[in-house]
Amino acid sequence: MERLRRHPELQAWLILAIPVIFLLIFFMAPLLIVFVYSFLERGKYGGVEWVFTLDNIRRVFDPLYFKTFLRSFYIAIITTIVTLALGYPLAYFIAKSPPSRRNALVFALMIPFWTNFLIRTYAWLTLLRTHTGLINVTLMNWGIISKPLPLYGNDFAIILGLVYGWLPVMVLPIYAALERLDESLLEAARDLYASSGKAFWRVTWPLSIPGVVAGSMLVFIPSLGAFVTPAILGGGKSLMIGNIISNQFLGAHDWPFGSALSMVMMIAMLIATLIYFRWTKKSELV
Amino acid sequence: MTKTYAVELQDVVKQFGDVVAVNHVSLQIQDGEFFSLLGPSGCGKTTTLRMIAGFEMPTGGAIYIHGERQGYRPPNKRPVNTVFQNYALFPHMTVAENIAFGMEMQKIPKDEINRRVSEALDMVRLSNMASRKPKQLSGGQQQRIALARALVNRPKVLLLDEPLGALDLKLRKAMQIELKALQEEVGITFIYVTHDQEEALTMSDRIAVMNNGIVHQVGDPETIYEHPADRFVADFIGETNFIPVKIISLAPEIVVALGSGEQVVAGWAEEGLAVGDRAVLSIRPEKMDMLELNEVPKTPAHNTAYVKGKVTHLVYVGTDTRHTVTLGDGTEVVVRLQNMYIGEEPWELGEATIVTWNAAHARVLKE
Amino acid sequence: MSVQTETLKTNDSRWDLIRSKLGGWSLSTYGILAFAFLYLPIVILVIFSFNDSRSVSKWAGFTTEWYGKMFQDGQIMLSIWNSLFLAIISTIIATILGTLVALGLERYRFRGKTAVDSMFYLPVIIPDIAMAIMLLLFFNMSGIGFTPWKVNFFGAKLAVPYSVIIGHVAFNTSFVAIVVRARLAQMDRTLEEAAQDLYANTWQTFRRVTLPMLMPGIIGGALLAFTLSLDDFVITFFTSGAGFNTLPVRVFGMIKKGVTPKINAVSTLMLVVSLSLVVVSILLSRRSGGDDSVQMGF
Repeated sequence: MERLRRHPELQAWLILAIPVIFLLIFFMAPLLIVFVYSFLERGKYGGVEWVFTLDNIRRVFDPLYFKTFLRSFYIAIITTIVTLALGYPLAYFIAKSPPSRRNALVFALMIPFWTNFLIRTYAWLTLLRTHTGLINVTLMNWGIISKPLPLYGNDFAIILGLVYGWLPVMVLPIYAALERLDESLLEAARDLYASSGKAFWRVTWPLSIPGVVAGSMLVFIPSLGAFVTPAILGGGKSLMIGNIISNQFLGAHDWPFGSALSMVMMIAMLIATLIYFRWTKKSELV
Repeated sequence: MTKTYAVELQDVVKQFGDVVAVNHVSLQIQDGEFFSLLGPSGCGKTTTLRMIAGFEMPTGGAIYIHGERQGYRPPNKRPVNTVFQNYALFPHMTVAENIAFGMEMQKIPKDEINRRVSEALDMVRLSNMASRKPKQLSGGQQQRIALARALVNRPKVLLLDEPLGALDLKLRKAMQIELKALQEEVGITFIYVTHDQEEALTMSDRIAVMNNGIVHQVGDPETIYEHPADRFVADFIGETNFIPVKIISLAPEIVVALGSGEQVVAGWAEEGLAVGDRAVLSIRPEKMDMLELNEVPKTPAHNTAYVKGKVTHLVYVGTDTRHTVTLGDGTEVVVRLQNMYIGEEPWELGEATIVTWNAAHARVLKE
Repeated sequence: MSVQTETLKTNDSRWDLIRSKLGGWSLSTYGILAFAFLYLPIVILVIFSFNDSRSVSKWAGFTTEWYGKMFQDGQIMLSIWNSLFLAIISTIIATILGTLVALGLERYRFRGKTAVDSMFYLPVIIPDIAMAIMLLLFFNMSGIGFTPWKVNFFGAKLAVPYSVIIGHVAFNTSFVAIVVRARLAQMDRTLEEAAQDLYANTWQTFRRVTLPMLMPGIIGGALLAFTLSLDDFVITFFTSGAGFNTLPVRVFGMIKKGVTPKINAVSTLMLVVSLSLVVVSILLSRRSGGDDSVQMGF
């Protein structure tokens, strides 16, 4: 017991032993397995052959599959931009509301987020479907259009679903940054002859950038690895990386290739994260 | 309009819901004046300042800057600049960028901006801090940068909202002297908000004493101190004794009766008082003296009061001693006697004494 | 100054007032529209759960028959029991582990702390599909497989694969750790010092002072884990082997088969449950004088 008291490091390790071991076994080890499998050959009846090969990695960059990677990037980037464009004004709106109302607004913002993602995506399915979706049915009933709009089974539907799902997550960090903003800084800018627009761009926006970056990261990463949204709104086509990876494990039983795809995806995300961080460090503002 | 003031407030009102923060305030502030708004927290002085700056719009009345009615003009269209209580320096800009900001917004050419920024930094003696960020500066330095940032725009009027509040005592005293010297050198009108009366008395050409949204008195420091217009001003500024009295006559002389029945003459009475009214006699502790019972002259001077009392408390405060004397009716007054010589305390607790003062220093005020 | 310029100047400033009021008004309008965008799909979903027809987009009248059908569906009921059991078990384990992690990381400094800290953030950052397939591979390769835990849960005979439980614990631990850690960081250390000044040893200080004060955070973390577990789809989908359904997995299957208001009814049920959990967590945090934002882990 005495030794424990004299060595706080030992205490720390004792407390952390079980969780760390758990995570090593059930997270780090699986991660390692994915890495290793990427370089193995596919087994004849599913499973793997312990033969080293770079074929899987090569196949990832095959135009057929790489196209999907690019499309996933494209969708993730568009989603992030749209979410930012919609989310920033919303965060601003909440931050500018009277303090008593702010908590209620944040709560109202988070309620959709706390409900099941699958259900929220399903809700859009019922709205967007070409012949039976609520939007097209209503518009055709009111005679506004004669042919249904292509709102489903394409990039538009996926982006809409992702934006809808991740909007609260973009708003929160931006709101936190805006709320912390000292009102007197804006007054000082106005006092120094800045118009409202100039005051926003020169003072509010730069000081809210950490929130923007955090929100963008929190939207971009899950959007890149989206699975449920394209599965439900993509009309059965494998439009994103997540779907292709899923296919390798459920349908094609090509585990090494699935692992390779997954690994490349995670590395891409890691690079994106690092770029984001370097970018914020460079424009270290405060 | 024969005379243009630097800033004029005409019957300005500001209401927040049910609360009237500024209640029909009229002020005329002269060009080149160091004008202070003085009062306790919540008296409306900051709200008044913010209305001049344009951060709040009056609910009623009008504000003129150099004769121009401001109306609904936003702050960026007014020829005034503000030094904020918390300095409000932009944390993401360097000191130089902070100072340059106002000029950038006015689209002043780059080289002129750079020239004036270095001039401003020289003026506050912080030229070597140009590329630092505000958080790297001390409180006093930040304060000077905030000042430079405002002054560099050559405003017609500079508004200062309790700028020295966050500084420690010694630094604050030094900055008071600096600010006053700066104002005299630059010649700009300063409108200065503070709750510290000593600060106001030290620095101002004129002071407006405010409470509950109303201006009680406007005047130069000596007038405010020696001739307070009402009880609030007499009480807020410095230390004052208030002796409950009843008015015996107002003309040709002001005569009041103390609780003990003794009658004294007073030099001034507030308007609106009538014979028979209850009022207070205000007199400052340093204006009073104490005599031994046998020291009262055989023919007492008419304009001097002689009131009986008993010494009930003595507090030594270094430069003088505060003597608390209880009068015939139980009222306590404080008399300040300078400690001219060491060990020369003439009064003992419980001793009987005659408190005396000149009628010119005694003012009759509403209760 | 001519009268005309005087008038111009006054007009100019009135325009400024109008402009700023307009700005505020359009911001409010945007706020309302944005919230409408967020809620409308959910509201429509709930409305059509009462639709008296097989359509989810053409209203045909009010009925509660879909709810009846839902409760009579044995598969759905089984999946509900599965979800509950899974959530409870994984929450309990994850809360214990997560609290240990929070204590270890927040209160101590040691070599390798950054590595451990980062490691526990990984499950939060990694996309669920990646985590799902790596767990799938692991369970396959390690021989653990998808052996179920056969248990009788309030009368329901369940067979919950250990793999799913482990998967849920893996990601929930990190979330609990984040919430508890935030609470821990906010805590007033001087209270613990006071306890020690009053002769309490380390264990007593922990049990009588730290733990009770930490409890709201722990409960908050547990509620978060419970919600995440109930809502999880991707990881459960890939780690359950064959034949094990939680409610989200069941819903996914139903969507693939064909869209009917029954799915809306199940969705509404899940919505109600999620909302109740949120309300419970808010109420609990209010009662203990906590900060709502801690519940979100921000």
